[in-house]
Amino acid sequence: MRIDPADIPTIADEYVLGLLDEAEAAAVEAEIERNAELAAAIAKARERFLPLDTSIEPKTVSPTLWDAIAKRLPDNTGNTSIRSVSPRLPSAGNDNGRSGWRAAAISAMAASLILAGGLIWSVTRTIEPLVVAVLLNEAGEVQAVVEDFGNDTASVRLLADFAVPADKTMQVWTLPSREMGPMSLGLLEGPQSKTLSGSTLPKPQDTQLYEITLEQAGGSPTGRPTGPILAKGFAKLAR
Amino acid sequence: MALATDQTTDLAAALEACASGDRNGLRQIFDHEAGKLVAVAQRIVRRRDLAEEVVQEAFIRIWTHAHQYAPDRGSARGWIYAIVRNRALNMLRDGRREDLVGEDGLEALQDSEQQEEIMAAWHRLDRDSRLKECLGGLDDTKRRGILMAYVGGYTHGEIAGRLKLPLGTAKSWIRRGLLSLRECMA
Repeated sequence: MRIDPADIPTIADEYVLGLLDEAEAAAVEAEIERNAELAAAIAKARERFLPLDTSIEPKTVSPTLWDAIAKRLPDNTGNTSIRSVSPRLPSAGNDNGRSGWRAAAISAMAASLILAGGLIWSVTRTIEPLVVAVLLNEAGEVQAVVEDFGNDTASVRLLADFAVPADKTMQVWTLPSREMGPMSLGLLEGPQSKTLSGSTLPKPQDTQLYEITLEQAGGSPTGRPTGPILAKGFAKLAR
Repeated sequence: MALATDQTTDLAAALEACASGDRNGLRQIFDHEAGKLVAVAQRIVRRRDLAEEVVQEAFIRIWTHAHQYAPDRGSARGWIYAIVRNRALNMLRDGRREDLVGEDGLEALQDSEQQEEIMAAWHRLDRDSRLKECLGGLDDTKRRGILMAYVGGYTHGEIAGRLKLPLGTAKSWIRRGLLSLRECMA
């Protein structure tokens, strides 16, 4: 979504007031991540109207409400990991620092070892995934399992029924690192399990985030997730 | 003032605890804010049981998204309330407003009750609050439109209908009201 900077204060206000329609609100939410000015305007608008909420007379809360929440809480330990995922991406090819060359030599050696290992492995064994991520919905119910083989293919097995409108499609994402941001693994044309291939991404790591969102048919127009999250989860190394 | 600051810090710390997987953080937020959050949700979705459903879902989202909260994006309290507001609005927009109102007569009655509640939110603001003063400076229609949206969760169309204005007029009046409000509060 292209936002004219002059419109930012109005859009931020209308977003906070809940006046944007679903598509506009989703576009704003996607844009917040890369538009600091918009994010700041929304924060300001929230604070401006917040007293209308905080001055409200509190209701007595049902005694069962907390238990109902506590029962549905997924394990949150993954969250700390995603924050600390340090992408060990090789430094740029034109880095002439000594450590850069050394790292390049080491990674070249490592690459050939992995290649040799991979060759032996692939002829002696059926392929197994490097990581497996169990994807949950917001209620903490299991929705899908992603197996990422790290060789440009990932398989997505759906374990729940998804209602996908005709003009929408499900898109699978992963977050190799905060710097790279979310990367598409591919589309699920129907609400069926599928093996996705063709994306060249860094080797999947432990605790890497996987996500399925609902995007317009043909996939997200921005190359980043824009639609509602259907399920997400953190990967575990297969062992 | 010092107290208010302390409370803000507490909520930010509680969110941090949530992000690291400590349920006591979430419990703390619940103990401090759940009563008001249920009230805010109920003002939008109208029904008590749905309001608690909203708050339940919101707390799960607070738990799973706590790591995304960044203090440079406003207060922890504002972030938490925004999650509850969004859940409540989504429930309305998913077409559940028809669940919330029954026969026409009852709807009209509830509607007038809600109108009173919406204006009460403005009256209840602290006497020396800038927001109260600046809302007071707007013409009645603009003020009402803004409050109906924020407090009651009404859409542009619903506001236009109730204020008996064409849709485009209602939209542009609200926009102008919001602009005056930003200028007044800057």
